[in-house]
Amino acid sequence: MSHKHDGWGWMLAVDFFFAGMGGAMLVIAGIGDLFLGDGQTSVLGNFAGAVFIAVGACFLILELGRPFQAFRVFMNPKTILTFGAWNMTLAIIAGILFASFGITLLPWSKLILLRKFFAAFCLIFGLVVATYPGALLARNKARPFWNGPGIMVLFFLSSFITGMAGHILCGYIIGESSWFIVNGYIVGSFSSLVLQDLPHLTAILLLFQLIFWSGYIWIKWSGSTEREAKAAQRWISGDLSASFKLGFILLGTIVPIVLLLFTNPVVHSVGACLALLGGMIMRYLVVRAGEDRTWLPGELKYRSRLPVGNEDFLKAWKS
Amino acid sequence: MAHYAMVIDTRRCVGCHSCTVACKVHNELPVDMIYNPVTTVGPIGVFPDLHMVHIPLLCMHCENTPCVDACPTGASLRREDGIVWIEEKKCVGCKACVMACPYGARIPNQKKGIVQKCDFCSDRVDQGKVPRCVQSCHQKARIFGDLDDPNSEVCKLINRFHAIRLLDELGTKPSVYYINGLGVQMR
Repeated sequence: MSHKHDGWGWMLAVDFFFAGMGGAMLVIAGIGDLFLGDGQTSVLGNFAGAVFIAVGACFLILELGRPFQAFRVFMNPKTILTFGAWNMTLAIIAGILFASFGITLLPWSKLILLRKFFAAFCLIFGLVVATYPGALLARNKARPFWNGPGIMVLFFLSSFITGMAGHILCGYIIGESSWFIVNGYIVGSFSSLVLQDLPHLTAILLLFQLIFWSGYIWIKWSGSTEREAKAAQRWISGDLSASFKLGFILLGTIVPIVLLLFTNPVVHSVGACLALLGGMIMRYLVVRAGEDRTWLPGELKYRSRLPVGNEDFLKAWKS
Repeated sequence: MAHYAMVIDTRRCVGCHSCTVACKVHNELPVDMIYNPVTTVGPIGVFPDLHMVHIPLLCMHCENTPCVDACPTGASLRREDGIVWIEEKKCVGCKACVMACPYGARIPNQKKGIVQKCDFCSDRVDQGKVPRCVQSCHQKARIFGDLDDPNSEVCKLINRFHAIRLLDELGTKPSVYYINGLGVQMR
């Protein structure tokens, strides 16, 4: 049944994807630096974390009805969206400053204590940025597929999978163009324990993701309310099922698990790309699942009869 | 301070949509925006015992407002008299309130880039008049008044007919009550 929706669009899904990935990349970089030492993640990966959050923020701004008034989003500290916006901003700043310590030409690159300080900020703000999209959705009481803490866990997990995939890709790219490292312009990460273990760790998280998503859909489908069961049905046999099963589960989760178990860095990079694709598809499907509100009596039938915008009479009206 | 509320007597509503039209005219809404839809449930039953119910929907002006709580700009506000409204110059059209509202009462205005909603015709209410939808209802299916006044018609009707609130289980405490005399499932 076709009917008009006035909710969030694909740009918010892209925001969630980039913000989650970037936030998790900063967390991984922060943990590596704080607990294992310098050069655990690539300089490119550290910069990319902050840049990805900024890209996500740009999509969030484009999703607004009045993008030039975007500064107002920072105005109400009691709301989770404002909290998220502030944390995204602070994470971008902390991420760029932290990544700059990897450029040995910069005078402050030898100040270890200051680097640790920014690594801690990356860890804190990155963690919030990676978590808050899930919390934002989970609080919506009227959206049966989102409501509850489960979606927060799934977003958190996916953020870390995409963040790790991002670091794997950045490590591969910078490894292929190591001229800057050999000549001493940036800190190398060739002997990094973190980067070496990321593919296997990502594969393990992907396996968790597969289990958690199966459980989440099953719990919603057999859940406490009829509206939750209906929302889950869209993922099992409805309009979202093909993208969910083929795009997210098979191509974005199972295939990367297999590829990340190999030892070849090229195969790892392909696996990481597919894991990123899966993360993107998942967020898009989750945002689309939010179209299903708890409908009021007779409302679905009423809305199904409203024009969706491409009707001839509406075009005639506008012309 | 008053607490404005509305009682909708579904036994009286004939589904003429005159409230929808009056609202659109009063608020000068574009063709694709409706604050005030009237849905229909039914026909229910077996001939000749058939019946149908028309359910006018609007912003429920909740006491616990998920939309106000979700607004990052502070554009969504609740007045002391219970009217929930949007300060348009502050709204950036992020649609957080649209997603938070369980009643679908908030509608994005694509042209203005903001979200708009029913405000119980606060301009009229401030002048001591009733909202336009209430004035236009020739069946007197909509009754508007002060919930805090025990002698008001809304208060008496709610108590007499045990009027219900939609999606009450979500804890939003809506200020719109429905008298459901035909036994149609409204919860």
